[in-house]
Amino acid sequence: MTARFVAGRLLQVVPTVLVIVIIGFLLTHLAPGDPVLALAGEHGDAAYYAFMRERFGLDQSLPRQLAIYLRQVAGGDLGFSYVYGRDTLQVILERVPATILLTGTALLFSLLVAIPLGAIAAARPHGARDVGISTLALGLYSTPAFWVGQLAILGLSLKLGIFPVQGMTSAGGDSAGLLRAWDVARHLALPALVLASQEIAVLVRVTRSTLLDELARDHIRTARAKGLGEARALVRHALPRAMVPIVTIVGARIGHLIAGASIVEIIFGWPGMGRLLLASLQSRDTPILLGIFLVVSLTVVLVNLLSDLAYAALDPRIRVR
Amino acid sequence: MLRGDVLRRPSGRIGVVFVAVTLGMAIVGPIFAPYDPFAITGGSLASPSVAHPMGTDSIGRDVLSAVLFGARTSLLVACGVSAVALVCGIAIGATAGYRGGYIDAALMRTTELFQVIPRFFFAVVVIALFGPGLDRIILVLGFTSWPSLARVVRGEVIAMRELDFVRAAVAMGAPAGHIVRRQLLPNLMPTVIVTLGLLFGQVLLLEATLAFLGLGDPGAISWGMLAAQAQGFLRVAWWLALFPGLAITITVLGVNLLADAYAAALGRD
Amino acid sequence: MVLLAYGGAACASERVARDPATLVAAIAGDPGQLNPAITTNGGVHTAAGLLYDGLLALDDSLRPSPALAVRWDVEEGGSRYRFHLRQGVRWHDGAPFSAADVVFTFDKMLLRYHARTRASMASSLVSVSAVDDSTVLFTFRRPYAPLMQQLDVSEAPIMPAHLYAGRDPLRNPVNVAPVGTGPFRFVSYTPHSEIRYAVNDGYFRGPSALKAVVLRIIPDEDTQVAALEAGEVDWLFTVPGPARRRLAEDPRVRLVRSALSAGGSNCIMTLGFNLERPWFRDVRVRKAIAHAVNRPQFVERVLFGEGRAADAPISSGIAFAHANDIAVPAYDTLEAARLLESVGWRRTGTGPRIARGVAGVKDGTPFTIGFKALPSQIVYGDLLRAQLHVVGIDLRPEPLEQAVFAASVFTARDFDTAIGAYCNGTDPEIGVRRMYVTSSIAPVPFSNMAGYRSAEMDSLFDRAGASLALPERRRLYHDIQVLAVRDQPYVWLVETSNLRAYSARCHGFSGSSHFAATAACTK
Repeated sequence: MTARFVAGRLLQVVPTVLVIVIIGFLLTHLAPGDPVLALAGEHGDAAYYAFMRERFGLDQSLPRQLAIYLRQVAGGDLGFSYVYGRDTLQVILERVPATILLTGTALLFSLLVAIPLGAIAAARPHGARDVGISTLALGLYSTPAFWVGQLAILGLSLKLGIFPVQGMTSAGGDSAGLLRAWDVARHLALPALVLASQEIAVLVRVTRSTLLDELARDHIRTARAKGLGEARALVRHALPRAMVPIVTIVGARIGHLIAGASIVEIIFGWPGMGRLLLASLQSRDTPILLGIFLVVSLTVVLVNLLSDLAYAALDPRIRVR
Repeated sequence: MLRGDVLRRPSGRIGVVFVAVTLGMAIVGPIFAPYDPFAITGGSLASPSVAHPMGTDSIGRDVLSAVLFGARTSLLVACGVSAVALVCGIAIGATAGYRGGYIDAALMRTTELFQVIPRFFFAVVVIALFGPGLDRIILVLGFTSWPSLARVVRGEVIAMRELDFVRAAVAMGAPAGHIVRRQLLPNLMPTVIVTLGLLFGQVLLLEATLAFLGLGDPGAISWGMLAAQAQGFLRVAWWLALFPGLAITITVLGVNLLADAYAAALGRD
Repeated sequence: MVLLAYGGAACASERVARDPATLVAAIAGDPGQLNPAITTNGGVHTAAGLLYDGLLALDDSLRPSPALAVRWDVEEGGSRYRFHLRQGVRWHDGAPFSAADVVFTFDKMLLRYHARTRASMASSLVSVSAVDDSTVLFTFRRPYAPLMQQLDVSEAPIMPAHLYAGRDPLRNPVNVAPVGTGPFRFVSYTPHSEIRYAVNDGYFRGPSALKAVVLRIIPDEDTQVAALEAGEVDWLFTVPGPARRRLAEDPRVRLVRSALSAGGSNCIMTLGFNLERPWFRDVRVRKAIAHAVNRPQFVERVLFGEGRAADAPISSGIAFAHANDIAVPAYDTLEAARLLESVGWRRTGTGPRIARGVAGVKDGTPFTIGFKALPSQIVYGDLLRAQLHVVGIDLRPEPLEQAVFAASVFTARDFDTAIGAYCNGTDPEIGVRRMYVTSSIAPVPFSNMAGYRSAEMDSLFDRAGASLALPERRRLYHDIQVLAVRDQPYVWLVETSNLRAYSARCHGFSGSSHFAATAACTK
């Protein structure tokens, strides 16, 4: 992989992000409805609205507002939140760790579950275990995340009382250190499982089909003909090669993962970006909305770039494309 | 021949049944619905009974009738989005693949841009800001759903361009539009159908999720909207959450099983 | 496998111990910042109330009593108010409180950024000035009756001038590390998780029996209830309808109703007609809809029994002004049908009625009307749709986020009917006047939604607002309500109430913003 290739891909990111910011800006500013009216709540008068518009720079022309916003963003400033009365970036960054904890746990868990399941399914295609696992995966893939969440709360939290219903920590506790970590882990379990269920569904299918492709390759067939064991062929030879497409799929699905996390956050009251997004939509906190849109888009673009680069590094043929 | 292959597989048979159930609900469900889904026909939050097999909601409306009416909304959105994606995807993918050169490069850059826009966030923001409505949902999801189709079509077209029968047609001076329509498109159809089947399932889920967030069309009952209403009553009325979710899952599962069986019948397992 | 490990361990875990003198209260959202003087956001006022004081306090029947002001004189027939401030009060950081703080709070914060204070007071107020360190003078252009109801901590919290002077109040870091004079002082704020307060030992009314208050952010109401039942939380600001009966029967829980609420008090869910639309010009159509509405069913199925059917245009919570002898249209679908027929709305089949000779409406037009509501209030539209369907009116509910709702209903006036939670406040001047007077047909949220114009009504409100004599005001508000029912620009559906729930291990709560100041908890 040459430095030129990397630099070229990196350079493509800049116009992409710029276009996304401009689209987001135009969407949020051309939409009907008046953020100042939402901010004022009841009461207020024309002078108050004019005053607030001026305070937030909403009295400027649209191109000028866009220019100001772009300059701010270039300097790492996402503006001032109308509702929270603080810097947008700060408000969003406070939410990022919770979302990363949720998505990271779910992703790790889904890889740990999906790869072995996919391998078991691939070991004997169309066998009973394969049919069972594939059906399960397709079933999960066809189920809306919010419904899995609702059923999980109904069954595991409300009926059986195994997990807390909502939130990130217990309500009354003054815990610290290990106890606190344990408390968070208990609250994390159910949302992470629900989010992971969606990823597991996809990753099982990908693992299975990639492994079947690899097992069908000449060199593995030759090795198996020479007496290489089934399990050994699968684990030692096919699996490492199958990791490349799996990593690519994980990278390409980052948008889905974050979207799924938003739903899960809303159902389980997990204090991440998804809930912030919904709250900001209701209060028409444009800087926060734009900020989240930007942060998510940037994450998707960068993760896609990373997985492209990883793919290129692992598989030199790709550079020819 | 292919139809027989699809139906010979258990997954294909189950898929056909599930899809048929949903289609039946969408077409004749409202006729068989026991009540007007908007009318008060029972007590508040009555649990499932003979009169109300799926119970009633908080203001006393029949859940079964609402679920039956909801099928139409889900299928309408999924079909609309598929149509938009189909037109955009084939037009852009075929043009890029057939023309090649800088047209291909420009179209593919655009496709990539659309592909990295997080579809869900984009849809949530657009619909929340511009107000909910079936037309808007179909347009937003349609315009963000075509890239995968365009890429698949482009790849196939590039591969086919080199095939003998296409080369022959080009050599005989057939116009490009004619070649694409008569030679390429028919051969593309299997790939397009598989991709579209998967897309259809995703759109059903997306529509339900948007409605769950309160971003569905308020004038049209949808399963996601029913599930959203259930969220406030999980503790007291499990039936509100169970049945709409079940309806979504059966429909999406049916579509996915069918798409899988079709792909398998084409030998792409 | 991981699931089982998690589950097993979770069952084995013990509840984290906590101090009985710490009160844990649940709040629904992250307030974001804790300066209530720059916003009318109910979440901020709920979270920050314990930190501050107003010049006055309001008891549960909304009578003013001393707080930062110990005495007051009403001068010049009600156009000048003189407040004598309490001596020796200190801010939580030790700085002394003085008249300068009051003047600063009104001039630089409340009258600029607090939309409600600004809208009700700014036009009649000449000045707020400090006569000396412990005397503040409010001067109005004309007699201003409702002032005494607008000075408690939930409406006009007094902020520390020494920390805010000369800086932009919207961006001041003190907003997230606040300093007040109230019964509790700020300890910590963990965004999206919790806010901690400790008792103010130097509080002028004496320290609270509680050592600390923790406000836990729990967004879902059901979860709040579960936390109360599990003993993790001691106080809930709201009780979801479906859980009310269960909590009422639970011996570990007590329920209490509160007259005051940070979001507004004495609210009436009100259906407004856009009087500019031709089908609502005829009062008989408005009366017909009022007759078609089954208000007890709203209490039963939307409020789950918590609240009451509205029986007058002014809330029963404002006892002196509420008229209890007015005949608002009763539930009577036959009368509704008769009225609609008399106007020319004919019923032909099972569908909506069709216009036949209705003034201003083309013949053959079906009676299909829109209904705009905030998403949280769309359930009113669902029930209304079912009730109006019976008399042949097709109502189409449309949920709109606040920014769009306000812009389309109050700015563009693009709606047929809409619903609003009109909070009457503690005095009709605060929350009732704006619904009826011609001058408040303005692009302001929750102003005169109907677009109702009546010179008679305007004059009645002007006289009621300028009068300080209670019997006269009572008589004027009675006339106002008779007129409102006669013209029916609105249908008053239900009065909502503020029900709180608390753990039986605690007692002594009050309904005001200082809900926990007089509380005590045992093991």
